[in-house]
Amino acid sequence: MMAPVSDASLHGVQRRLAALLPAERWLSSPATLELASLGAQDAPRLIAAPVLEGGVLRERRVTGDAPPRFAAFLDGTQTSKVIAHADGVPIVYGTVASVIRQRVDRRMRTWEAARVRHALYAPLALLSQRWRDALSAIDVPVVDTLARRQVESPHPFALQDAAIHAVQEAREAAERELAELWCARGDDQPDGVGELLVDGAITGSERVATASCIVGVVKTHRTLYAEGEALRCVLRLERGVRSSVFRITSPKRTPVASWYLRLRDASARDPLWGLVRIEVAEQPGASAKRIGERADDVSRWVLAEALPLALPDGRWDKMLYGIRDCEEFLRAIQ
Amino acid sequence: MTAPPPPIPPAPPAPPAPLLGRVVATERKPNTPHEFHFWTSLDSPIGIGTIVRVDGETPVAGQLVRVYGVVVEGFSYTDLQSPIHDVLGHDGTPGGASVAATQRAEIRLYTAHVLRQIPEEPLQPVPMGSVALASDEDVAVALRMDSYLQPGSRTGIPVGIYRAGAMEAPIYLDADFLLGPEAAHLNITGVSGLATKTSAVEWLLASIFTHFPPQKGSVAAICFNVKGPDLLFLDQPGQIEDSDLAMYEKLGVKAAPFERVRYFAPYTAKGFAINTLRSNEQLAHNVTPLTWGLNEVMQFAEVLLNKDDIDAKADAFIDFLQERVIGREFHEAPLSTPHRVRSFGELETFFRDLLRGLEDRGGESWRTHHIATIRKVRNRLSNISTRCAGLVTDEGTVSDLPFGSFQDRTVYVVDVASLEEDAQDLIFARVVSKLREHLERRDLGVSHVVVFVDELNKYAPADGPDTYVRKMLLDISERGRYLGLVSFSAQQFRSQVHRRVVGNSGTALYGRMDMDELATPGYAVLSVATKTKLATLEKGQLMVRHPHFAQPIFVRFPRPAVMRGRDGVERFPQAEDIGLEVAVMRALRQLDPAVSLDWVKRTIAGHEESEVIRARNVTMQTRPERVQPFFEAQFRRVVPAEASSPPRPAPVPIRSLPSDDPYGF
Repeated sequence: MMAPVSDASLHGVQRRLAALLPAERWLSSPATLELASLGAQDAPRLIAAPVLEGGVLRERRVTGDAPPRFAAFLDGTQTSKVIAHADGVPIVYGTVASVIRQRVDRRMRTWEAARVRHALYAPLALLSQRWRDALSAIDVPVVDTLARRQVESPHPFALQDAAIHAVQEAREAAERELAELWCARGDDQPDGVGELLVDGAITGSERVATASCIVGVVKTHRTLYAEGEALRCVLRLERGVRSSVFRITSPKRTPVASWYLRLRDASARDPLWGLVRIEVAEQPGASAKRIGERADDVSRWVLAEALPLALPDGRWDKMLYGIRDCEEFLRAIQ
Repeated sequence: MTAPPPPIPPAPPAPPAPLLGRVVATERKPNTPHEFHFWTSLDSPIGIGTIVRVDGETPVAGQLVRVYGVVVEGFSYTDLQSPIHDVLGHDGTPGGASVAATQRAEIRLYTAHVLRQIPEEPLQPVPMGSVALASDEDVAVALRMDSYLQPGSRTGIPVGIYRAGAMEAPIYLDADFLLGPEAAHLNITGVSGLATKTSAVEWLLASIFTHFPPQKGSVAAICFNVKGPDLLFLDQPGQIEDSDLAMYEKLGVKAAPFERVRYFAPYTAKGFAINTLRSNEQLAHNVTPLTWGLNEVMQFAEVLLNKDDIDAKADAFIDFLQERVIGREFHEAPLSTPHRVRSFGELETFFRDLLRGLEDRGGESWRTHHIATIRKVRNRLSNISTRCAGLVTDEGTVSDLPFGSFQDRTVYVVDVASLEEDAQDLIFARVVSKLREHLERRDLGVSHVVVFVDELNKYAPADGPDTYVRKMLLDISERGRYLGLVSFSAQQFRSQVHRRVVGNSGTALYGRMDMDELATPGYAVLSVATKTKLATLEKGQLMVRHPHFAQPIFVRFPRPAVMRGRDGVERFPQAEDIGLEVAVMRALRQLDPAVSLDWVKRTIAGHEESEVIRARNVTMQTRPERVQPFFEAQFRRVVPAEASSPPRPAPVPIRSLPSDDPYGF
């Protein structure tokens, strides 16, 4: 589905619910939870990661230039808005979208079709029967935010956070769907479909996390995979310098090889300015040298995307222009 | 009987026009019933002046809305908020742009003015919809040409070709709005040399002569050649290119010079040769002298005598002369003899006699006219033949345009380029007045006359004195269309021409324009982009405004198939300065090729120059079958008259001597 049909829009959903629940009050112009910083955020943390390239994590200068290599960029967006409170329980209207923008002759165009999905997010167990009946009566998917998550209390903010997490999972699913399609398409074609740069981690899908054509670029650093001297090394990285490759593992996610890379000169700026973390599929059995060469190649490709700047986006120090293009596209079609 | 216009070759069926863009509207930039915005891909062939078609997607009153518009403005921008961002992105190095892996998202956004909406009621803001290049048929509908291109009632006059992408569509003017009676007149403006004003008029006349509907009557053109040789070789073929030929074919006009052209020019001040750059003997067959006598001039004395010259008293005396003296037998004291004044020469004799009589009587006035007024009028009128030497003759010989026998599809060129301003004004005023008189009486010979006059800012300036010529131009522009008297005028600066003259021109053409001129208020309705396009138009391109067109349209027209002026003067060099004998021989040879120089020398030997010139003029005007005897007869009538006059009587002594005078001898 390219764009929301009118009935699935926020106001369309509100109107239909209002017809079923005429006594309720409806928020006329709700704020986006993500923009209002009311969404849930992980606590900052440091995690030591095993180094795959040499014994200790250290700085490695990426020399030489490479032509732009990425054939396409993938990103997703999400918006969550509270449309009503049912006895203090927030009913959240969420929209998730994802798109792959393919680069042809240096211009971006949409690959396949973008994914755009709308749904209502609510803790069904905390709602009255009247509300549950109303939600099930309208032709919009309803996601139970407590189906896979427990909350400490029915605090409205806690319930909101649960909703945002559910929306986030939907967004990741939409991204994952497109990324897996890209991989499958690559399998079908003898020459592949080229490298896909994914915004964020690629560990959510084994198919994606093990594909050689996928490169993930992580801009947020709530979790830093270094401690002690390794951390200081990461924070000291200069422009065009990467860290040693390390391994990221997680119980629910697929292990990948990762390293930090400084895209821009961070002099007189915060230590995370211009710093990205790159994820690629592990190369089982590969030597440290081979792993390093692969990291250098990918780093050159990423550095080649430093222009044009993703301005006016505030995250332009870390954001690549192809990713910004995805976001702008999704903003335009929603 | 004029042949019906040749059919325009039917255009091959066009494939469906591909979609080029989509209509967009925002709160800050909404669409209106007269203006809309749309975006296109970066490589679309859209440009300023392109005609587009919008297909609405929501029916109104059961009908999908279709809107036609012409692009008047274009915008291009990227997702950058500030130019400094791009500078930062390239570290201040412009060359860095070439290494950017991805080109920024970029938009081509256009603004178009609505030409037509279908259905026309209710008139609503332009809806969202797809945008496509207008096809031939779309262009006809958009410009409302469909109303006058119907078989059987077709009144379209091709003015040029509209081009967009690979599409070429003929653009037609409506003859009813170009030559009357609904509207009329055409004005063309643009800078000298680049605006192709003269070329455009030459092309349009060819188009009119080809396509003017027979049921509308006949049409001829009078062109005043006011400078250089521009209009002097309209009957000679010119060089045109294949692209021009293709346009001629598409527009259904024969790529050939005008078949019937007649040239008129006064003599030089000496009176020997015709005062025109088209004086080469090879081209003399259709060049006719233009000479007027007293009768022709007096009616337009106001043209030559301005208010500073002539006060109310002098004006009254001139009226008296016109009503009572000129052209009639007049005798009254203190005149010594009856006078019949038919020429400037006879007028001068009349004045001499009158003033001598008044002086002899010691009178200071005659018929309430003071002697000073009489002297002043004599001075001013006598001066006319000097100021307009070559045009106005003392002896009253008249050689004029063929008023009453104008021919259909004929161009009459009056070459006034070498004349003084007064003489130019006189010619213009009289020719146009005569045209008007004959058209009112329906006896001109044709039912429509196009009068082409260049340098309109000189003849009808916005500022300055209210001259006779300007009043005449105003009269044509305001009332000429009812008579079939149509002005095609041109000037460099439209803003400097009287507003009512250009304002009454139903059709306006604009060639390349000067930016200073475009900055004047008269062009405020044009967008900045349209002005920019006007300032950079190539030769052969015009912007057209026509009553049927809701917005100006850009067209191309073919190079006229006539010899350019500067080519003409090279190919047909001007005749050398010649003596009287040669001048007479060349003139008479047009009537009789057997005339030899020796014969001319023998015939005119012993005669005054003025006599010879008069004899030649009378012969040329009469165009007798037997030229040589007729020419000789002119002298026999004069010379023998002197020879046969009775011998003068012997002087009579004042007083007879007395027979008895002793001192007499």
